Amino acid sequence: MSSNQEPGMRSYVGIVIGLMVIVVIEVILTYQHLPTRTLLYSLLCLACVEAFVGIMYLMHVKYETPLLFWTIFPSTLFVLVLLNYIWPDAYRMARMSLVK
Amino acid sequence: MNQPILAIRTGHEGTGHEVLMERSPYAIDKKKLGMWIFIVSDACTFATFLFGYGYMRVGNQNWGTPFEFPTILNGILMTFVLLSSSLTMLAAVRATQAGQKASANKWLGVTMLLGAIFAALHLREWFKLISEGWRLFYNPTGGAAQFGACFFSVTGLHLTHVVSGVIALAFIARGYNQGRYDESHVETAGLYWHFVDLVWMFVFPLMYLMNAQTK
Repeated sequence: MSSNQEPGMRSYVGIVIGLMVIVVIEVILTYQHLPTRTLLYSLLCLACVEAFVGIMYLMHVKYETPLLFWTIFPSTLFVLVLLNYIWPDAYRMARMSLVK
Repeated sequence: MNQPILAIRTGHEGTGHEVLMERSPYAIDKKKLGMWIFIVSDACTFATFLFGYGYMRVGNQNWGTPFEFPTILNGILMTFVLLSSSLTMLAAVRATQAGQKASANKWLGVTMLLGAIFAALHLREWFKLISEGWRLFYNPTGGAAQFGACFFSVTGLHLTHVVSGVIALAFIARGYNQGRYDESHVETAGLYWHFVDLVWMFVFPLMYLMNAQTK
């Protein structure tokens, strides 16, 4: 029941090639000897861009009613934010292993 | 404001027994809506696994970065195979929407083949690691013992999704050929396939690139 404004196959090829380019950028970044935290944030940002492009275009959310987007994203984001409660304990464990 | 009412297909049209229902606010097929609900819950499952991996990694000072370039190269190849399969899945959906049965079969077949190649590359990597001594709770390089558990569980969960997707696509393709399924079934299967592809966009950098030997 998608709308007729969907892009053609040529646009989809462009989107997938774009995603492949992002993967290559991720690999190049990995071998730049960046600090672990900088590398992690860079890779996560690029992965989020890939996921957003994939959800909007490959999974057609851009061409569905906006209500679908506003149902899916906030609820998923809410769970992802809640999951961050684990980090203080992870850093506590790291400090404990240093004390030993 | 009252939503418009419509009669949904029940197989009793014209008999006076039609079921009247409100139009879905999402304006999508109920199969697609069901798949979206599954995708949101499955995304939370994968997120939990990846956060668990992050917890182990942050809490362990002796994690290590054991993956040499051939392993990363294999991961790049797997990523490209999976991304290509998303494209062939889109081609299959397009073909079913246009009523081109032969073309739809061809692209569904290519998608399944690419999924099988991804699984084969994945298993080759697993067997290589196992032959090097990696186990769920044993790290042959002397680093954190939980590395194997994190790697095999996260990638194993994803591999299960890919294999399940290939099997589901085979059933959908068979049903589509026999006329039991229509383009909405293929489109719904396509949603799942793209989701599995997008999950890998997080698994690859976090499980492979963050564990790459760069010195």
